[in-house]
Amino acid sequence: METNEHRPIDDVMLSAWLDQELDPAERARVDDWLREHPADAERVRRWGADRDALGARLGSVLAEPVPERLGQLVWRGTPPPAAPSHTRSRGWRLAAMVAFFVVGGVVGAAAMWVAQRPSALMSEASDAWVHRAALAHAVYVPEIRHPVEVNVADSPEADRAAQEQHLQRWLTKRIDTPVPLFDLRGHGFELVGGRLLPDALGTPCAMLMYQHQGGQRVTVYLRKADSSVPAAFQYEQEGDVGLFYWVEGRTGYALAGSLPRVQLLALAEAIYAQQQRK
Amino acid sequence: MTRTGAVEPPPAFRQQLLAAIPRLRRYARTLVFDAAAADDLTQTALERALAHWHQFDQQRDIAVWLVGIAHHAFVDDRRRHSRVVVTEPDELNEIHDSLRGATSDPGLRLDLIAAFDRLSVEQRELLLLAGVEQFTYAECAQALGIPIGTVMSRLSRARVALRLLLDGDGAPASRTLRRVI
Repeated sequence: METNEHRPIDDVMLSAWLDQELDPAERARVDDWLREHPADAERVRRWGADRDALGARLGSVLAEPVPERLGQLVWRGTPPPAAPSHTRSRGWRLAAMVAFFVVGGVVGAAAMWVAQRPSALMSEASDAWVHRAALAHAVYVPEIRHPVEVNVADSPEADRAAQEQHLQRWLTKRIDTPVPLFDLRGHGFELVGGRLLPDALGTPCAMLMYQHQGGQRVTVYLRKADSSVPAAFQYEQEGDVGLFYWVEGRTGYALAGSLPRVQLLALAEAIYAQQQRK
Repeated sequence: MTRTGAVEPPPAFRQQLLAAIPRLRRYARTLVFDAAAADDLTQTALERALAHWHQFDQQRDIAVWLVGIAHHAFVDDRRRHSRVVVTEPDELNEIHDSLRGATSDPGLRLDLIAAFDRLSVEQRELLLLAGVEQFTYAECAQALGIPIGTVMSRLSRARVALRLLLDGDGAPASRTLRRVI
């Protein structure tokens, strides 16, 4: 290992030292180096701390129960019949609930919602609406082929502007409140499109979906508010879906996403700022 | 499609596979954020493993073998859906700049997972495999189909990038917002 005598002690070396991937001679050389260079020693110590913290944070997945279909697959050796991807997700129960609500909702389920929340005013009983936003998020976000009714992302570049205008006009008209297509590209989120959601109280709600380059999706909900009393930002967590919601003007807003709260807040702030400019 | 062999995987192999599912799911979750999509990827990897069980060398760690299968399934899938863009390490400076805006509240520091999620998929998988899973560099290289030298340099860059994201402190708030959190 004569050549290694001249190998510079750089980040690659230090990183390999941390992983105990150096041979004894190199290792001793880095040991000496770290004793003489406290700043480097501190950097390596932090890398090690990050590694441990990451292990602790990513460990939660290991504790989750293994989805039945995966266990069955291993035992039977044959994959179960392909299911639509949203029924496969952890949120399938939520999905089934909302599917029921959305499809047959006008009759039974709607009555249930109303009974539970006689006056679901955003300003006082916003949890009903926010809960629905969380449910809709759980249903549509895993959808690969039909996440939205009007798809902007799939239209050719030339038609995109026209499609966006169509989406905006359609939703604005149907929910009777302006639906700005917020621009979240500064945060890496592109508009996928939107859909109209029924509401138990007969007030439809608009959903806009955004997708990050990494595949992560967030949804924004707009609804004509029952009261024009502004309501400050509130945060709620439903399972792994985080929600920010607020009322401004005569519109209720909710933002849902499985993102860390800080990241979600940044998006909520962007939406808030853009809505202020309207 | 290897029905010609007609030899079913032995129960011991199935047992090994079953025991490795949680780690495989975690790896898949590192590649794709969406939990359902990650489980689809896990399923694809398990199907391929069952079809090619005879290729598994019992001397090896089954997790390394499975991660390799999942990695290649992911790469195939990404190639097919080339719309999905992956953040390259070069874009890190840009991301870092955008972060300064995102963390405008001085009380907010970028969460570890948020920072991790902003790394490229190649960096994330190495931080998981070498750091958390404690794969050796040789095992990482084998699973990902890259030279050991690439494992080493990519991993050290990933560590530096993660630190950069975590240390990135925000600029003063550009706008104030009423919040109740």
